[in-house]
Amino acid sequence: MSFQSRLTCLAGGLTACLALVAGSTFAADSDTARLTKDPKNWAMQAGSLDNHRYSELKQITSKNAKNLQVAWTFSTGVLRGHEGGPLVIGDTMYLHSPFPNKVFAIALEDQSIRWKYEPKQDPTVIPVMCCDTVNRGLAYANGKIFLQQADTTLVALDAKTGNELWKVKVGDPKLGETTTNTPHVFKDKVLTGISGGEFGVRGRITAHDINTGKILWKAYSTGPDNELIVDPNKTMTWTDGKMAPIGANSSLKTWQGDQWKLGGGTTWGWYSYDPELNTVYYGTGNPSTWNPRQRPGDNKWSMTIFARDLDTGMAKWVYQMTPHDEWDYDGVNEMILADIKVKGKPRKALVHFDRNGFAYTMDRVSGELLVAEKYDPVVNWATHIDMKSGRPQVVAKYSTDKNGPDVNTKGVCPSALGTKDQQPASFSPRTGLFYVPTNHVCMDYEPFQIEYTAGQPYVGSTLSMYAAPNSHGGMGNFIAWDAGTGKMVWSKPERFSVWSGALSTAGDVVFYGTLEGYLKAVDLNGKELWKFKTPSGIIGNVTTWEYKGKQYVGVLSGIGGWAGIGLAAGLTKGTEGLGAVGGYKDLAKYTELGGVLTVFALPDR
Amino acid sequence: MKPSRLLPLPLLLSMLLLAPMSTALAAPPAAQAAQADDFPTSGRVEYVLECMQKHDGKYEYLYKCSCVVDRIAKSLRYDDYVAMSVALRNQSLAGERGGEFRDEVSVRNMASKYKEIEAGANKACAVPQR
Repeated sequence: MSFQSRLTCLAGGLTACLALVAGSTFAADSDTARLTKDPKNWAMQAGSLDNHRYSELKQITSKNAKNLQVAWTFSTGVLRGHEGGPLVIGDTMYLHSPFPNKVFAIALEDQSIRWKYEPKQDPTVIPVMCCDTVNRGLAYANGKIFLQQADTTLVALDAKTGNELWKVKVGDPKLGETTTNTPHVFKDKVLTGISGGEFGVRGRITAHDINTGKILWKAYSTGPDNELIVDPNKTMTWTDGKMAPIGANSSLKTWQGDQWKLGGGTTWGWYSYDPELNTVYYGTGNPSTWNPRQRPGDNKWSMTIFARDLDTGMAKWVYQMTPHDEWDYDGVNEMILADIKVKGKPRKALVHFDRNGFAYTMDRVSGELLVAEKYDPVVNWATHIDMKSGRPQVVAKYSTDKNGPDVNTKGVCPSALGTKDQQPASFSPRTGLFYVPTNHVCMDYEPFQIEYTAGQPYVGSTLSMYAAPNSHGGMGNFIAWDAGTGKMVWSKPERFSVWSGALSTAGDVVFYGTLEGYLKAVDLNGKELWKFKTPSGIIGNVTTWEYKGKQYVGVLSGIGGWAGIGLAAGLTKGTEGLGAVGGYKDLAKYTELGGVLTVFALPDR
Repeated sequence: MKPSRLLPLPLLLSMLLLAPMSTALAAPPAAQAAQADDFPTSGRVEYVLECMQKHDGKYEYLYKCSCVVDRIAKSLRYDDYVAMSVALRNQSLAGERGGEFRDEVSVRNMASKYKEIEAGANKACAVPQR
């Protein structure tokens, strides 16, 4: 319901209000936004509509974080990579697993399982998932849990019982289409995307009615204007130092022939929503194939930030970060909406840490490009972003297109994993800074000619990756970033890439996980306060909530290359022989085996 | 648990020798950490549980696996043990990002070095290699 209709309700009394709602073309807003405002909950994957990954809770502080200890653990029973994190609403946690995409509703009181849901999915979907069988978590609205299964089925469950309410399929795994993203609930809609940029999939997002699953609009990343849902005269983009209309056939003109039909531009990242502007923001992935010589042109609108009207899908503005990608620098990373000072002037900004190694600060109202700077100094494929054209100035010797197929382009930074992949950063409104998990990895990249076959990988390149040369020898950093100036504030080196999503809190603590399996707490200067070794590498996102007056911090571990298998598998069978773990038998009621959610709290004193 | 590929020994040795010592976060030489013996109890228990599981949960492996982890703890600092054992486990990590563990020489070296240390400890503690 809009603000205006609320006013009418107040003025006109109950009958008029009901009539208005019944006659309205817009369904009532969901409760999601309201739930996220209570810091006791963690009601969306990012904690809020604006992707801040920040919590107002402050029982855990930079002074006492060193005392954190394990409160409880929960195992999903699945051994592959565990991305995303739990939702907490009131006294219940909702947790997902990688394929087969189990869902658990867990009572916070005693961690018993209220209900469990396991979809039946064809396992042939597994080999068409490019990058492990991950799932980035659930969404919640109006008593419903939304799960985006690997096989592209979007399902709504009754949050009380786990019963299926509706399902809708948004893609076809036989064509290489799969899904890994979380569904995003904005207002009265649930939005979802598609993965499969390595399989020649044509990227799009769909908006669904939260009550029925009905598709309300579907917007492609490539193709004709009506399928992109753009207005050639009103959809704007950064052109010659100002915003200008994109014009007719903006995508078609930038592809050879029908290549846009296999054009990639998938949409598996973290979307955000500004209720005042009624605008949804998300990014699109790499163009297919990886071999750039096979797809001349800018390949629009792959590698693009989209700003769309939530109700109609109409694109308000677009900005392509990496025209004619030559390195697999997907543009899907999280879109963080923050009201900050940019170059001294207050702005409604959108901040995006792209795989290509540049951190972009845009005006999210107009789409103007404000700041674009390297957030890792080793980034070398482009010297800088030309602020007039908005285009990266590509260095010829790192151009895999210029060097051509079957030539190994060496020493490109960052690697195809990007300076950052999907692992989301955190924004603290208290400091105005962004806390960003990064890769510090370079690559050698060799494209080769490839033919498209439906459902088969359409990659066309081989690559090898290594730690950024002439640096600290490690493959990651955890950094603090000032998006108003485009400058790094501090950088904390890590031995391996940091593939876990960050969390910052009002207690002035910043949390992130490492591939060794450490959950770390650092202060606002990046000083390590505490670390704890969980059973496996962490690629999940750190979450916090409050239950019965106590603040908890939780994170999934489980990377795929499985550690802690003894603990996990040792409890399945043959426990009779395991005198040492005999006492664990009653855990069967509470836990499953596999990837583990480890939950921390301060000790009672 | 098996690394997907192993390097020929002479090549490996030459890489170890050539690895720049200034790379602070690459695997440090084991010698400097020899006296630390700083594994937390949880780290030892975790190792023993996993090791017992690998040997069908037989009770005798409570003793044998404890022997192994105590020996490993004498040759590596806990942080290095964690990084090196992770390097070994993730040699088989699925997908593109597994390349970070398979391609990077210093990470492969960590994996090989750890494998060697564990094999030595297994031998000394009468644990068959699995």
